[in-house]
Amino acid sequence: MKYTKLSDKLFTAFNYVAVSVFTVLCFVPFYLLVISSITDAQALQVDGYTLWPRKFSLEAYRWVLRGQQVLTGYQVSTFVTIVGTLLSVMLMSGIAYALSSKKLKWRNQLSFYVYFTMIFGGGIIPWFITMRMLGLFDNIWALIVPMLINPWWIFILRNYFNSLPGEIMESAYIDGASDWTILTRIVLPLSTPVLATTALFVAVAYWNDWWHGVILLQFAEFRPLQVLILRVINSIRAIRAAMQMPGGQTLAIGTEQIPAKSIRMAIVMVTIGPIILLYPFVQRYFIKGLTVGSIKG
Amino acid sequence: MIQLSKTKAATTTQAPSLRREHRGLLSILDEIRKNHLILLLAMPAIILIFLLRYIPMFGIVVAFQDFHAETGFLSPWVGFKNFNLLFGSPVIWRLVRNTIMLNVLFLIAETVFSVGIALMLNELGKPLFKKVSQSIMYLPFFMSWTVVAMILYGFFDFEGGMVNSVLRTIGLSPMSFYDKPEWWPVILTTLRVWKGTGSGCILYLAVLVGIDFQLYEAAEIDGASRWQRMRLISLPLLLPTIVLLTLLSIGRIFYGDFGMIYTVVGNNALLYPTTDVIDTYIIRALQTTTNFGMSTAVGLSQSVLGFIAIFGSNWLVKKWSEKRGEDFSLF
Repeated sequence: MKYTKLSDKLFTAFNYVAVSVFTVLCFVPFYLLVISSITDAQALQVDGYTLWPRKFSLEAYRWVLRGQQVLTGYQVSTFVTIVGTLLSVMLMSGIAYALSSKKLKWRNQLSFYVYFTMIFGGGIIPWFITMRMLGLFDNIWALIVPMLINPWWIFILRNYFNSLPGEIMESAYIDGASDWTILTRIVLPLSTPVLATTALFVAVAYWNDWWHGVILLQFAEFRPLQVLILRVINSIRAIRAAMQMPGGQTLAIGTEQIPAKSIRMAIVMVTIGPIILLYPFVQRYFIKGLTVGSIKG
Repeated sequence: MIQLSKTKAATTTQAPSLRREHRGLLSILDEIRKNHLILLLAMPAIILIFLLRYIPMFGIVVAFQDFHAETGFLSPWVGFKNFNLLFGSPVIWRLVRNTIMLNVLFLIAETVFSVGIALMLNELGKPLFKKVSQSIMYLPFFMSWTVVAMILYGFFDFEGGMVNSVLRTIGLSPMSFYDKPEWWPVILTTLRVWKGTGSGCILYLAVLVGIDFQLYEAAEIDGASRWQRMRLISLPLLLPTIVLLTLLSIGRIFYGDFGMIYTVVGNNALLYPTTDVIDTYIIRALQTTTNFGMSTAVGLSQSVLGFIAIFGSNWLVKKWSEKRGEDFSLF
C-alpha cells in the first residue's frame, strides 16, 4: 500500500462527493418525471411531485396512447427521423468522400464552400422566405430537407475518411475500381464508427426538432411529437395567463381544460422514451461524437 | 473548425506535380471528365447547400427593401430605413442587453461547471463510477427544449409545482415564478448548466487524458498534493481549450438561445424584461407582423456584430497570450 496524505484522501473524497451530487442532480428530473407519469392524476394534483408514487396508476399512458394526435405525432416523428437520417448520412458521406479525395483538384474550394456556411448565414427571415419559395412549407419534406446538411458532420466524416490508409484506395484504383466501388466497398465499411456516431446525432436532432414544425407547418394536418408538447405547454400557459387577468379567476375556463400533470408527463415520457431506451446501448458513440475530429488535429 | 485550417494547409502542399497543367475551360472539362463520379457523389449535397444556405444569404437584400410577399427578394429598395427604424426603437436596447447578459451568464456558469466537473472526474480512480456518472450527466443533452420546458413547468407551476409544495410544507408562501422576471436569469442559467455540463466536460476530459503522466509523477515526487497538482498542472493545461471555446461562444454572443427561451419562457410578456432576446423578437415579428425588412435588418446586424465581437476578442486574446509567450488565439 502506498502512503497517502490525509489531505489527499480528503481531496479525493470531496471529488467523489461533488461528482456524485452533481450526477444525482442531473438525474432527479428524470426520476420525478417517471414517478409522476405513473402516479394517479388526483393524487398528483394534491401532493405535487413526490419521491414515490402515493397511488400507482397507468391511466395517463392509456389516455395518451388512445389519443389519435399522439399516435399521428409518433408516426410523423418516426418517419422524419428514419428517412431524414438515412438521406442525411448518405448525402453527407458523398460530399465528404469528394472532400477527402486526393484526385479532386477543387477539393479546397469545395471545402471552403461548405465551411463558409458555418460562419455566415442570411438570418431567419431570408431563410424562411427561401423555404417558402422552394415549396418546403406545410408538407412532410419541410421537416426533413432543411436538416439534411450539417457542415459540422461533413467535416467530421471527411476527417475520418482522410485518416484511412490511402494505400488501400490507391491499389483499388490501380485494379480498376471506380469511385463508387471504393466508397461503398472500402471507405464506408471502414468508417462504421464515425457513421454510427453521425447517424445517432443526426437522428436525435430529427427526433428532437420542433423548430421546423413550428415555423414551416401552418395549416398541415399533422404535427411531430415535439410540436405537440409545445402546444400543450403553450395552451396551459395561455389558460394560466387568462386566469391571472383581472376577473380571470371567475372565468369558466377552468383547470379541467389543462391536461392533468400525469398526462403531460406521460406525453413527455413517450417522447423521450426511444432516446432513454436506446441510450445505454449507444452512449459510447455519443461520447465519442463530441471528441471525434476535434481532438485529432 | 480549428483542425479545418490545419488539414487544409496540409493538403495544399501535397503533390502539385500530379496535376496536369491546363488552362480555362479545357481544364474544367478535363477535371469533370476525370472525376465525374466523385462530383456526382458530391452533387446532391452541393446543390442542397446552395439552396438551403446560399440563397438565404442573398436574401439579406431584404434588409434594405420594403418587403412584399408577391415581389419576394425583388421588392423596392429603401436604403437604410429598416436600420433606422430598428435602432430608433427603445426595444432594441433591451433585447441587446438581455441577449448579452444571458450569454455572459451562460458562458461563465457553463465553463466553470464543465471545467470543474472534468477536473474532478479526472481525479477519480474508479472507471465504472466515472463511466456511469458521465453517462448520466450527458443524458440531459439529448432532451429537447420542449421536454425541458414541460418538466420545468412541473417544478415551478403555481398550483401543484414541486417548488411551491416544498415552500408550502416549510411554511413559506408559494411563489408565482412565471411572473417574476428577476428569477429567470438564474433559472435559465441553471437549465443550461443542467443540460450542457455533461457534454461540455467531455472535451476538457479528452484534453486531460492526453496530459503526459510524467508531469504528475514529477510533481508528486516534489511533494505536491493532489489539489496542487490539479491547480498547477491540469488547470493551466486546460487554459488553451477554455480560451478557444470561449472565443467560439463570443462569436455567438449576439445570438440568444432561441430554442430555450422560445419553449421555456414562451410568449410570456411578463418575463420580457429579463428574457426577451434578439432572436425571440425576430420570431415574434415573423409570426405577428409583416415587417420582414426590419427583422432581416436585425439578423444582419447580429451577423456583423458577431464578426466584430469574434475578431475583437481574438485580437485581445492574441495580445494577452503573447505577453505570456504563448498563442491561444483562434486565427
